[in-house]
Amino acid sequence: MLFHTWIFLFFFLIVYPVYIAVKKTKLKELWLLIASYTFYGWWNPLYLFLIAYSTIVDYFVVTKMARSKRRKIWLSLSITNNLILLSFFKYGTFFAENLNLLLSSLKIPYAFDMPDVLLPVGISFFIFQSMSYTIDYYRGRIEREKSIIRYAVFVSLFSQLVAGPIERAKNLLPQLRQTPKISTQDISDGLSLFIVGLFKKVALADYLALYVDKVYDVPEQYQGPALLLATFCFSWQIYFDFSGYTDMARGVARMMGFRLMLNFNNPYLATGLGDFWSRWHISLSTWFKDYVYIPLGGNRKGQFNTYKNMFLAMIISGLWHGAAWTFVIWGTLHALGRILTRDLERTEYYQKKVPKIIKQILVFTFVTFAWIFFRAANFSDACLIVSNIFSFDLADPAIPLLLLALIFSVWLYQFAYESRARIILELRTVRIATVILMIFYLVICASPSNQPFIYFQF
Amino acid sequence: MTKQSKPLNESSPAATLQNIPFSSNAIRLSLSDWFIVLAVCAILLTIVPALWDRIEKTANPIDFRLPYQLGEDYWSFSRDCRQFSQGRETLVIGDSVIWGHYVPAEQTLSHYLNQIHGGQNFVNLGVDGIHPAALSGLLRYYGKAISHKNIILHFNPLWLSSAQHDLQAHKEFSFNHPKLVPQFFPRIPSYRETFSNRLGIAASRHLPFSGWVNHLHITCFDGLDIPSWTIEHPYQNPLTEITLGSSISDDDFKYDQISWYDRDISKRDLEWVELATSFQWYCFKKSIEVLQKRDNRVFIVVGPFNEHLLNEKSLFVYQEIKVKIETWFRHNEIDYYIPLLLPSEYYADASHPLGEGYAMLAEQLYANESFASEILNSPVPGLENR
Repeated sequence: MLFHTWIFLFFFLIVYPVYIAVKKTKLKELWLLIASYTFYGWWNPLYLFLIAYSTIVDYFVVTKMARSKRRKIWLSLSITNNLILLSFFKYGTFFAENLNLLLSSLKIPYAFDMPDVLLPVGISFFIFQSMSYTIDYYRGRIEREKSIIRYAVFVSLFSQLVAGPIERAKNLLPQLRQTPKISTQDISDGLSLFIVGLFKKVALADYLALYVDKVYDVPEQYQGPALLLATFCFSWQIYFDFSGYTDMARGVARMMGFRLMLNFNNPYLATGLGDFWSRWHISLSTWFKDYVYIPLGGNRKGQFNTYKNMFLAMIISGLWHGAAWTFVIWGTLHALGRILTRDLERTEYYQKKVPKIIKQILVFTFVTFAWIFFRAANFSDACLIVSNIFSFDLADPAIPLLLLALIFSVWLYQFAYESRARIILELRTVRIATVILMIFYLVICASPSNQPFIYFQF
Repeated sequence: MTKQSKPLNESSPAATLQNIPFSSNAIRLSLSDWFIVLAVCAILLTIVPALWDRIEKTANPIDFRLPYQLGEDYWSFSRDCRQFSQGRETLVIGDSVIWGHYVPAEQTLSHYLNQIHGGQNFVNLGVDGIHPAALSGLLRYYGKAISHKNIILHFNPLWLSSAQHDLQAHKEFSFNHPKLVPQFFPRIPSYRETFSNRLGIAASRHLPFSGWVNHLHITCFDGLDIPSWTIEHPYQNPLTEITLGSSISDDDFKYDQISWYDRDISKRDLEWVELATSFQWYCFKKSIEVLQKRDNRVFIVVGPFNEHLLNEKSLFVYQEIKVKIETWFRHNEIDYYIPLLLPSEYYADASHPLGEGYAMLAEQLYANESFASEILNSPVPGLENR
């Protein structure tokens, strides 16, 4: 179920009062687990077997690690098991397709059957979250969670299960162990986060999707200006969609007394690619830094190895997003961009002489260009889009001016938030008026399209 | 000397929690701020539709009927009910037969009743395409203003002519006015809307601004939500489309006034459903109940169905259904009239008369004793002592 649907409201109106009633009792975790499994099973009850299996294996592994001297073997078992699950459900078709292509190119008369497997929603998220627990335990950074119920709640907590943020055990498990203290400020904070997320998703992302889908579904029918603007719109669509979801997730969690990490921090105001990745999908980028980049050696083994490790981490990050070569290309572009600009961003010239707005425009332009490969249906579409954008045609893009006005307003707000004008945005009247306007816009203008969240497919 | 609090270990859970930034924007309201927001929104979302209702210019021509394009504008229907419930008019309610699918407004049943009676005493509140299951919802949720009135409620036997018409077919198909039918119970097998959307539909019936927003979309934005409208009209300012006065009319509607046999419709063997198990009949009875509970005097008109179109077997079954309907009306002491069959050339299809057919139907009704005593000669309920 999606956060912005009636069924979720119905679900939460049942779950929340019972949660409040039992939060000081031992039933708290059981109730959260029932609620979370109901939430996840709503997509498809079969998914529950998968998440339960993954949870039980990792819980068992850490229990064994606690009693064994061969901790590395148990860690390897956990990682292997999780990667097998991911490979099978997420990459099975991709591997089979590419193997068949390879066999065909080598004139070998054999083809693998395409596995007809449903991709479970959120698999990449909860598997990464579970893996972080076993790895952190192995590294001695967290205590073992003795309660399997509590651990299962950590893996499956409905507010962040299907699209993050990917929480760390050291952040979430202690909160689950304590009796949650829910103040009136937590409730109002939760509502504030939720309304912003709802606006981003329903009013902005779903609106942008109308234009982006229209163009990207048949790119051959559009010229440069429409393709360029659709790409520009997709940059904002994916940001609003994903950060909107995260805001709603954090809002729901906050109302329940849990504090989830900030996952997006105005990424399109980044002044460098490194800065961009510290603002975009923070929980994933930090996950890759802690569990891929640093174990590979990070920046400790010279410049070449640093670049190699960055490259690998970004490629894997691209592949994490989807089982297609376009995602690998997207990751590669970011890897190359990061490598090429890393030293430049550290120079005094770049830091002090280049105006901030220029840096922001350059980073945004690069990121937007890379999004072409993320959004395009396939590689040939991506190439067509790129070539047509640079053909400098002057055809009418027919993009709604209201859409551009909304994007500009949001950008201006973010710009003001990170400047001295922030004090105006923080005025009580301005905050209240902004929320009233958002609610009014949602009621009158929002499209009832019920578009799924983009990141659910990952 | 001030007591210094013990510094938090940076890696402690409490310290970790304190270090989590709240958000990347300034929108953080306190509980009292939220009360203000909700109060202001509640007031605005109550006042604006009410003000709009008062200010919006409505066409009130002779031979009123809801424009075809406003068929799903239930807020407009609700407003029309309020408008016409204040006077002494008799409201004529039904589907496209009452609305007059093949004829202009000046050739409908209500027009001819007015012609015979004189004045504008009969108001056409028909809704094109509304079947009994949807009519029941329309009257229940949007027809609350209809009380203490004389009502002519029409039943079109077409809705019993097949399992699909009766909404009992198991294969999914799209039918008219899905937002008005029961969303949860009784279950409609061919209705496959998601549970979440059904909840939303059920909730929106009780949110007045929801109907007003839908009205806005239909009258100002070609029935589209605003974002979709801007995709069709990218360079137009949506604000300029919002006018206090709907320009929607049926002036350009083309009426296909030819009789059924000129449309190459052949005789049919219809698969009539059993009256006792008919879903549409069940809903029609609910409509009567709803209207009677609101102290309305209800007079039922059934058909006249185009029996010329039925083969012998089908005609026999239809006659039996008519008998059962009559029996039920008598048993429940409901005043009714089943008109005589019209000449074949006066039908446009299975159930819709042409202009001459409506004129003849009006004459039959007017001459009917029960109609005369219940509708023509009785005072409007609630106005007896005036």
